[in-house]
Amino acid sequence: MPGMEDFHNGSEGSFNSDEADSVVKECIENVVAGDDYSQSQVNKWTASIVERCLTQLVKMGKPYKYIVTCAVMQKTGAGLHTANSCYWDTAMDGSCTVRWENRTMYCVVSVFAVAIA
Amino acid sequence: MDNYQMEEDPMLTTFVVDEVRKIINESVESILGGNVYQHIRVKQWNSSVTEQCLSHLSKLGKPFKYIVNCIIMQKTGAGLQTACACFWDNSTDGNCSVKWENESMYCIVTVFGMAI
Repeated sequence: MPGMEDFHNGSEGSFNSDEADSVVKECIENVVAGDDYSQSQVNKWTASIVERCLTQLVKMGKPYKYIVTCAVMQKTGAGLHTANSCYWDTAMDGSCTVRWENRTMYCVVSVFAVAIA
Repeated sequence: MDNYQMEEDPMLTTFVVDEVRKIINESVESILGGNVYQHIRVKQWNSSVTEQCLSHLSKLGKPFKYIVNCIIMQKTGAGLQTACACFWDNSTDGNCSVKWENESMYCIVTVFGMAI
């Protein structure tokens, strides 16, 4: 959707997606950097990533409700496509999506922030 | 003297999972049903599924903000794991996740609804 990738200039009352981007990248690196895809561990990884991201975002103390989603996929050549569509207040709310990969897996994390009135 | 108390109908102000699940199932079936995974069409399908879900959700007329997330993955034996965490008001907000599949692909649609 056009407008969802816009950078909001850190002003009071709009979502700073750049800040969220760096928080998410750090959380992903902390959980899976250096690991190979593992069926038995992936459950734990996705849970850790979303929990960590959420905790860090809430610590920023802004008046937002947050949703963090994470998808981890094994690299085997399969096609994967994700899309998001949002019905909200475009001035106050925002999202940020981070795509990360290593040799054996892809990780896509999306953060949605909805302003509390 | 008659005492008449107006009670707020919870159906109008809370996220009703069954209603949303029905909308998702109908949207996915109408767009992906009977189709085989094709790289050139998947982007269009993804947009259509999310847009159709969103338009039906907004037609419900509830005071909610919605987020619709759709993942389409080709069936080749690869592993996929998804997770989500939410920081919101548990009494009014909610989510609904539907996993659909046919012979050639998986489709996972998640709807998040937050009361205004």
